[in-house]
Amino acid sequence: MTRDEILGAIKTNMLEVIEGARGREIREEHSLVRDFGADSLEIVEVVSRTMKQLKLKVPRTQLSDAHSIGELCDLFLQAAVTAGR
Amino acid sequence: MSARRRDGVARVVVTGMGIMTTLGEDLDGFYGALMEGRSGIGRLRGIDERVSARIGGDLSAFDLGAHLTSAGGRYPAELVERARKLLRMTPLSGRLTAVAALGAFVDAGLGPGVVDPTRIGHVLGGHNLNPAYTSSNLAMLREEPEFIDPLFGLVGLDTDVLAVSSEMLDLRGPSYLVGAACASSNIAILSALDLLRAGRADAVLVTGGAMDVDALWLQGWVIMDAISYRSFNDAPERASRPFDALREGFVPSVGAAAVLLETAASARARGAVVRAEILGAAASSSASRTSKPNLDAQVRAIGAALQDADVPPARVDYVNAHATSTTQGDAVEVAAIKEVLGARAYQIPVNSTKSMVGHCLTASSVVELVATVLQMERGRVHPTINQEVPDPTLDLDFVANVSRSQRIDVAVSNAFGFGGLNSCVVIGAAT
Repeated sequence: MTRDEILGAIKTNMLEVIEGARGREIREEHSLVRDFGADSLEIVEVVSRTMKQLKLKVPRTQLSDAHSIGELCDLFLQAAVTAGR
Repeated sequence: MSARRRDGVARVVVTGMGIMTTLGEDLDGFYGALMEGRSGIGRLRGIDERVSARIGGDLSAFDLGAHLTSAGGRYPAELVERARKLLRMTPLSGRLTAVAALGAFVDAGLGPGVVDPTRIGHVLGGHNLNPAYTSSNLAMLREEPEFIDPLFGLVGLDTDVLAVSSEMLDLRGPSYLVGAACASSNIAILSALDLLRAGRADAVLVTGGAMDVDALWLQGWVIMDAISYRSFNDAPERASRPFDALREGFVPSVGAAAVLLETAASARARGAVVRAEILGAAASSSASRTSKPNLDAQVRAIGAALQDADVPPARVDYVNAHATSTTQGDAVEVAAIKEVLGARAYQIPVNSTKSMVGHCLTASSVVELVATVLQMERGRVHPTINQEVPDPTLDLDFVANVSRSQRIDVAVSNAFGFGGLNSCVVIGAAT
């Protein structure tokens, strides 16, 4: 699984879930909260939808460490490696 | 108004109504379907073939986006945007109930700044509202726990059905659920009446929460022999036939409704259009956990509601019966109406909205209040459909199959629930 695939899935789900992300450029250094005004429920939903879509499980205890979209991508990439993908 | 109120007790009026059923998503559509005698019952989608019951009112394909688009100009743009955002991640019960709530709120002429939001309460009649959503998440849990709906812990609660509408409409007064099985919504109306009479709020939105039934509940009711599952699976529109000799059980239906109740003083102060008055209400119990109807407890509920309304039986013009199409239930209700109203029972129409829309379960009483007020306003009673083989023991005027003109100044609306829970609301025409 490539970083681009993961980023693509996160972006798709952000556009579905977070109103403030629609019509905006989404970059790895952006923060879901600071840059797009996402609330806590919306973040949970973006992460869960992405996990389901990519069939990957990211330990929820680590999610609070991801402050940017890039860091969220890192967690998914790590989960893909652990899963042997 | 059509009846005298006790001195010092605030009068409570209906200033807004909203509906979301298989017979219509707006008041005119709903009224038209009722007068035509149209059935909203069909085959239920996605029910396990081994379950004997497979008919009912199905709204699983409800399209919120299409509804908001078609409702267009009726709703203020700000509320449409809030609805789109909030309801996107809301299970079916919350969506349907919110659409009805939005309709009632807008119909009442409410909006930002019209009434202090801390003085508007919200009482939802209903419980066990999202079984289909719960079942689908349970199936996912068995497959992979991480992939259940991430918001399940919040939106799986019945209180979320109330909360999502409260957030959408900014209702900040006393808010809670009332649970009383199929009498839930009538007792929610009673509770709102009490809140308004006690001065705890100036307006209360009463929502009848849609119950999104699933195969588990259907099979449970089949085993109890409570619902229709024997004769009409291939003719679903004929299954709900209250009072008819061939009736064999109620027909569950997904649907929601909402009414905005308000003190007459508040309505007057803001120049609101009054659609009807809630003259009184009452509830009783037969102290029984069963589904068996109880004549004495029904008589007490209807009698106490008339007393609360200060209306003698001779002034009742119409009864919207609970009439679910069960053998025992309809018979006991007819006996209760006769006992309370005496000779008057034979002079007035007694019809069943459920013959067309089915049994909207915990939402049914608000659905039927909306039907009652529409009939009152337009001077016409809807039929009880599927009257084919008269039951010789049930001899009131059920408005068989065809609507007709009828002046209604005072109406009675009954609701009785499993667990010995009985209720009655008395409604007066606006004058």
